[in-house]
Amino acid sequence: MTTHSDTSHTASPPLSAYPSGVGRSSVGASDALAVSYRLVLGQMRSTGRIVALLLLSLTATVAGFAVGTSDSATVDQAAAVIANLGFAVVLPIVCLVFAGGAIGDLRDDKTLVYLWLRPMNRWPIVVGAALASLTMATPIVLPAIVAAAALTGFGSGLTGATLIATIVGLVAYTSIFTMLGVWLKRHIVWGLAYILIWEGFIALGGPGVAQFAIRTYTRSILVDRTGADLTGADFSTLTAVIVPLVVSAAALGLASWRLSHQDVD
Amino acid sequence: MPPPLLFGMIAVNNVSKFYGSVVAVSEVSFAIDQGVTALLGPNGAGKSTLFRMLCGLTPASRGTLRVLGEDPRRDRDVRGSIGLVPQQDALFDHLTADEFVSVAARTQGIDTADIAHVAHWALEQVDLHDVGSKPVGQFSKGMRQRVKVAAALVNDPRVLVLDEPLTGLDPVQRRRMIALFHRLGDEGRCVLVSSHVLDEVARLGSNVLVVAQGRLVASGDYRDLRELMDDRPHRIRLGSSDPRRLATELVGRGLVSALTLHDGDVVVETLDVDALGRQLAPIAVGLGVRLDEVHPLDDDLESVFRYLVEGR
Repeated sequence: MTTHSDTSHTASPPLSAYPSGVGRSSVGASDALAVSYRLVLGQMRSTGRIVALLLLSLTATVAGFAVGTSDSATVDQAAAVIANLGFAVVLPIVCLVFAGGAIGDLRDDKTLVYLWLRPMNRWPIVVGAALASLTMATPIVLPAIVAAAALTGFGSGLTGATLIATIVGLVAYTSIFTMLGVWLKRHIVWGLAYILIWEGFIALGGPGVAQFAIRTYTRSILVDRTGADLTGADFSTLTAVIVPLVVSAAALGLASWRLSHQDVD
Repeated sequence: MPPPLLFGMIAVNNVSKFYGSVVAVSEVSFAIDQGVTALLGPNGAGKSTLFRMLCGLTPASRGTLRVLGEDPRRDRDVRGSIGLVPQQDALFDHLTADEFVSVAARTQGIDTADIAHVAHWALEQVDLHDVGSKPVGQFSKGMRQRVKVAAALVNDPRVLVLDEPLTGLDPVQRRRMIALFHRLGDEGRCVLVSSHVLDEVARLGSNVLVVAQGRLVASGDYRDLRELMDDRPHRIRLGSSDPRRLATELVGRGLVSALTLHDGDVVVETLDVDALGRQLAPIAVGLGVRLDEVHPLDDDLESVFRYLVEGR
């Protein structure tokens, strides 16, 4: 990488007073959101990370293709592949990597101070960061999982349900993991613990507990719209869309509150 | 009776900061107004913690801090009147210098139509206007420091909190930056600059705060502080062809208060370093002793702080 040296001062301009007539106003939410979105998006672009997550996502596509090539596959098996690989592994992990680091990485690399110190509301910073992670995660996850559903060969019912469920999952997981990145320093470790332990085991422990896992709602959309037989997925599509969206809003609200009160390096 | 509250553009009253059982800042009080004030202290003395509290980035555990009369931790608007140059090197490396400073202007509420003009002015002050289109990720350490200063200036803040802003600058840029700080102070801004380099502080101005081990150990005019430091005993290592003879003569003339011989060198302690400096060479010539080395052992900042804090 080229590094510019500090020697270009042969014709330094004279020091001058601050320009007169500069206009000011309070920083609007849309401005704060746009700045946060752009900065976070720029910080999280990393070719290596994107390629690794694309490869992870493609495992779901390959699995869907494998189901489609089998003569004896049923819609239950196709839905199980989408739910157990796409919704349980690919979707949350990709969201964790991007959303967990959306603000978490700014805090860790100490650039958060440049946003935090400014006289603007906290919620646009958080929402901008969450939208940036959604922008990164969506093109990686959505085509891969929807293609997996299409390749199973069970028609537009499964594909459409997968599309809706994936979008719901993307919004919910990016919001939750953005919050996690604001609250906790080792967000990847805690996020993996959430995905593997909470969503993987505890939330499947019974109907009462299951409603606290996002995975329950993405699976419910598949079941509700295709009639597939998946355990622990009893909600209607409407409920399975609304509840994760409410959880997302709450997560972003908590993240904003935490950002206002936390110490910044 | 508690001490009276101090007032100023920056007012720090009996402030302490604890991290668990670690005391980062202990019962610090000072008030400063317009002009340049240097905050001098060794690494780990608590300077950055104090600066973080002044900007509201972390709350004080005890005491009160006020910037322009407001609590920077609670009052978001007053934070918009503070220009901070943080100590850390982190920048948004994917942005150009123009973009970095423009983002700072936009997030400080500068009107869109004025952002480019103000950003250019700020980069001009730090002599980076010619490289505004280059990504800051490609900048040297000194250029990164200067772009941070430009971003801190972009909203014309009344208070500037600059944490080691001269680190990594070459001598020419260091002089320009110091001139810039003085001009900003002369225009009525409160400019607080930290440094751990004594010579830098001498050039930054006459108002000095000295912190060590989290405490404010001295404050006031730099010349008074310098005199205080010059009054302490100085240790000097003398390398010569006949250290015993030289040492005996120096003691006999009352120029040194203590001495030790070590590996053929003599280490002397003196309260009057100027007199020793004037007379040492003639004495050596008179004795026919060859002087190989005259090396002050405690002119480093650490020893200065040790003297101020512990009196030794």
